[in-house]
Amino acid sequence: MQSRPAPQPGLTFEYLMWLFIRISGLGLYLVALVGVTAALVMGARTQLDMGTLIRWTFFPNSGHVANAGVDLELGWVSLLWQIMQGMAVVFGVTHGMNGLRNILEDFISNKGTRLVVRVIIILLWILFLYAAFTLVLSDTL
Amino acid sequence: MEITLKVFRYNPEKDAKWHYETYVIEGQPTDRVLDLLEYVKGYIDGTLSFRRSCAHGVCGSDAMRINGRNRLACKALVRDVGTKITVEPLIGLKVIKDLIVDMEPFFDNYKKILPFLINETPPPADGKERYQSPEDRAIFDDTTKCILCACCTTSCPSFWANDDYVGPAAIVNAHRFIFDSRDEAANERLKVLNSMFGVYRCHTIFNCTEACPREIQVTKAIGEVKMAILRGKIK
Ligand code: FES
Repeated sequence: MQSRPAPQPGLTFEYLMWLFIRISGLGLYLVALVGVTAALVMGARTQLDMGTLIRWTFFPNSGHVANAGVDLELGWVSLLWQIMQGMAVVFGVTHGMNGLRNILEDFISNKGTRLVVRVIIILLWILFLYAAFTLVLSDTL
Repeated sequence: MEITLKVFRYNPEKDAKWHYETYVIEGQPTDRVLDLLEYVKGYIDGTLSFRRSCAHGVCGSDAMRINGRNRLACKALVRDVGTKITVEPLIGLKVIKDLIVDMEPFFDNYKKILPFLINETPPPADGKERYQSPEDRAIFDDTTKCILCACCTTSCPSFWANDDYVGPAAIVNAHRFIFDSRDEAANERLKVLNSMFGVYRCHTIFNCTEACPREIQVTKAIGEVKMAILRGKIK
């Protein structure tokens, strides 16, 4: 007996970020899973040490494996890996920056300070994304 | 048995700073901490101030920090808390005197979520009850148990940090009406809770569930409100 239409609380910024944090968390696991599986298929088991494999897993950039003696032409550099790196960067940086914003805003009750902190975080976010994408886009053969 | 009762004392009219006072008194394992406080007030120092009313865990007046945990003094037995007892006011709210804190910010947050039944439809033709099935009632049974003692809200680190956060107690009471099939204002309440100071300041720390003297599953209720916002419906 629901006497009222279903509630439509609306899409707020906080709601969308809350949702994004959950999805990006899962997304990061997906990126890592694809990365580690593909690396093992491409021969990491005999060619990479553990540290290198883990670095590749969380950020599949050929720079991580270039010195390990693997043949980069055997699939270690491709558009797929650029997309995967892109996802790792976008999910990771945004997830982390929003987490930082959340924690800081927990402790800041002054509206002005809150705005300043928000602006600083957005600038940092842009800076990180810019730096990371420079790296991602240059990861070609 | 001998009990060492260490009590937080602060009188803003006389003291520049708060301090602790220790009383060594006789008591029984079955005494409640409230009995000890009453003893001190009655026989040792009449200026000791604390709130209490029902003395049976129903009114929610005597929430305080007992050995570092938020509890009702009238429900904490010596047997359970030991013979060395430290009693302090709730944290996150301003101390007015001794164990009495200013509950205004707590109730301001409570008011934000419209804590009353809203139903604009005319009552049934016989002019009597709006029926509700036992199943529908069971959905929000847990959250009807709240006595507004503030144990949960004042155990929440997010609330300590920022009292703009509505806090667990307000969300529990919102839950009580949002999931009530006779209520019609779930939408308005969810709107309040879907804001910056609503449910998203809850980081699932579980202190509230731990603190609740009525054993309400507070964090679970907050989770259900989050899900209601996520799914855009309450069933
Ligand atoms: S005095 Fe009423 S709850 Fe303890």
